[in-house]
Amino acid sequence: MKKKKSLFERIKNIFSDVKKNPDPLKSAIMSFFIMGLGQLRNKQKSKAAVFFSVLLVFLLAELLTGNYQYAMDEISRFPADSGTPLYFFRDYGGMISKGLWGLFTLGKVPGQILYRGQFVETFNKTIPWLTADNSVTLLGTGLIALILSGIFLTFWLMNIRDAYISRKAHLRGETIETGLVYVRRLWSDMFPYIVLVPALIMILFFTLIPFLFSFLLAFTNYTYRIPIPNQLIKWVGFDTFKLIVADAGWFKIFSQVLGWTFVYAIMASASCYILGMIQAIIIESRYVKVKKLWRTILIVPWAVPAMISLMVFRNVFETNGLANQLLYMTGTMNGVSSFLYGIGLQGALDNPIFWFSAVYNGNLAKVVVILVNLWLGAPYFMMLITGVLTTLPKDLYEAASIDGASKWQSFQNITLPLILKATVPAIVMTFTFNFNNFGAIFFLTGGGPRWDDALIPMSMKLSGGIPGQTDILISWIYNLSFANNAQLYNVAAVYSILIFAFVGFISVYNLSRSKGLWEED
Amino acid sequence: MQRKFIDYVLGFLAYAWLLIACVIVLVPILWMISAAFTPGRLLTSVPLIPDPTRFTMEHYNFIFEYKSNAAQVLADFPGAFLRTAQIAIINTVGVALLSTLTGYAFARLRFTGKKQMLLTMMVLQMFPSFMGMVALFLLFRTFGFLNKPNYLALIYMTGAIPYNTFLVRGFMRNIPKSLDEAASIDGATPLQILRMILLPLIVPIIGFISISAFMTPWLDFILQFRFLQPENMTVAVWLFRTTDPFNTLFYNPLRFMAGALLIAIPIMIIQFFMQKYMVYGLTAGAEKG
Repeated sequence: MKKKKSLFERIKNIFSDVKKNPDPLKSAIMSFFIMGLGQLRNKQKSKAAVFFSVLLVFLLAELLTGNYQYAMDEISRFPADSGTPLYFFRDYGGMISKGLWGLFTLGKVPGQILYRGQFVETFNKTIPWLTADNSVTLLGTGLIALILSGIFLTFWLMNIRDAYISRKAHLRGETIETGLVYVRRLWSDMFPYIVLVPALIMILFFTLIPFLFSFLLAFTNYTYRIPIPNQLIKWVGFDTFKLIVADAGWFKIFSQVLGWTFVYAIMASASCYILGMIQAIIIESRYVKVKKLWRTILIVPWAVPAMISLMVFRNVFETNGLANQLLYMTGTMNGVSSFLYGIGLQGALDNPIFWFSAVYNGNLAKVVVILVNLWLGAPYFMMLITGVLTTLPKDLYEAASIDGASKWQSFQNITLPLILKATVPAIVMTFTFNFNNFGAIFFLTGGGPRWDDALIPMSMKLSGGIPGQTDILISWIYNLSFANNAQLYNVAAVYSILIFAFVGFISVYNLSRSKGLWEED
Repeated sequence: MQRKFIDYVLGFLAYAWLLIACVIVLVPILWMISAAFTPGRLLTSVPLIPDPTRFTMEHYNFIFEYKSNAAQVLADFPGAFLRTAQIAIINTVGVALLSTLTGYAFARLRFTGKKQMLLTMMVLQMFPSFMGMVALFLLFRTFGFLNKPNYLALIYMTGAIPYNTFLVRGFMRNIPKSLDEAASIDGATPLQILRMILLPLIVPIIGFISISAFMTPWLDFILQFRFLQPENMTVAVWLFRTTDPFNTLFYNPLRFMAGALLIAIPIMIIQFFMQKYMVYGLTAGAEKG
């Protein structure tokens, strides 16, 4: 393999190159200032046209969306107030310059104040600069401007590099490719990207930009307490991160939620896996007849849409739902209640049992959440492992039994390792899925039961956004983003980053672990 | 003799286990069916043993007839049903088309940044879409897409592309490349190769992708709840409205069961008939490599 030159070496090479022969540099410099000009000097007209039109589109996009034509006249009529500056790009800039200005400042002129001697409104139809700055919108448009600028910058660098390289080739006496050939080569090089463009644009807008946006929110002070657009949000650096760690009360609740998230993700995945495996082995064993019938019944929960079964279970565990009714009907209510009380899952000897609603039943609710998830999730592993079992090599077992291995030994040493090997990626996938399994909490318990008031720190009572006892991180984030008087967008964003870092790491590891997946053939 | 006895015990245990499992699986579902046909709004009035002679169609009459003030032409539920079906159809077409194209690019074309791009896509999809919802909401408002159900399909499509691309890619990699090369020698362009040679061969995986895409909008709630006004309500929002105790006007768990049954049954039928594809698709991503 060729060793890559270090960046420093490459720069040094370019310098010595230029010293020896300064002529290509001239083309590069021409393209540096006006895209396509260097190419024109190199006598590559169509190439110059391509680059120049990129420049033109970019400039027009900026100019046509701006209000530069009014600037001169209006600045003389409405000069800046003494003390406050006039924000030129805010008032007259186009989508790029105003966007970048907004991204860096998050706005300077809130509503209901005087700016340039005029009253700023929430929305002013005729004079754009009298519309109050909406920090959130500015952040969004700024992000788009940043991405567009990045794309333009890439073209600009391509253009400079091309002017330099083509000139050098020309001086060396090589025939440089004509513009038409260049365009054709560009097309065939670009073909894969052109196929991908629709998907990439959608991912850009509906996944990447929202992701970056929520990433950036983590570094602002944006919460429901800031009435936009009459107040501006600010960049606060890592303050929100600090708040979460430094405030002991917050941190305690946060670590409890995080701990439960891990317990839930691990228990939910492991229980489904083990139960699924047991069922698969039982059905595939020689003791069971009409295997197909059993299998069909037992995969019913998988066929029912998860959202619907979760909401049905929410009703099952209502105080007057199926669970309590069954206990009454079978006459076991008192027995079960005192049993649950005895092992510490229930905080009081209730009759009926308040599965998801009593403050002291947090642990009970957690156990039920895992059991319901077992109902929903075991069939998937049952099917997966049944599939693996049918592909196990028969001769291995024959060899083992000839060597005198017992049934249990051959299960332990052949069946189990083979099943595990085939299902490890699925286990990891299930774990990451459960880690973010918002629906399993939201539709089932809605986060309930509440925490005991005494355990909630004062700071959280003041800020809002208190999680429930069964809330996992992702469902807490939902509350922090949408529940009334709990929208701490910046805190939600910080938690999102945490989840993303963790889950992203695991899934990258899981995906890149299998080499066959990435081999090019 | 002892061997036979152990077999007998094990067989008994196996059947006992399976029977109990079946009871646990079926009881909540039977209860749901029974509740759907029980009058009133109290869970306590649902009989534990379904009695078909006392079934009532009360909830279904409501479902098909009730028009809230916000409803436009159709009654609430049928309207919600049609809107969701629209989203589902757009989503299915979009996802099938886009995943085929991108899957093809990743399986067959050569370009720089391929591995990184696929990995980035796979990682980004781990991010549930509602985490970026503040931004999505803003984007939709800027584009004027708010309160227009069909545009939600854009978000569902985007969410589905990465994993489906991965599946299509995996499927295509099992098709010998010599087929492409032969066609290419005969002068076929890449797009022709995709359309005439590869497409007929990847029908099973496209089938799986289409079914999952069709089902997504029926079962997603948050986006529909946040982005649509009541007059453009979807099925999931309708269902949630009936289980929300704070919504005194519509809260009725029995009515929820009736509506849920109406949605769950077609989906269950599809899943059972397409079981082969579904299992294939669900395990393909997990087992490949």
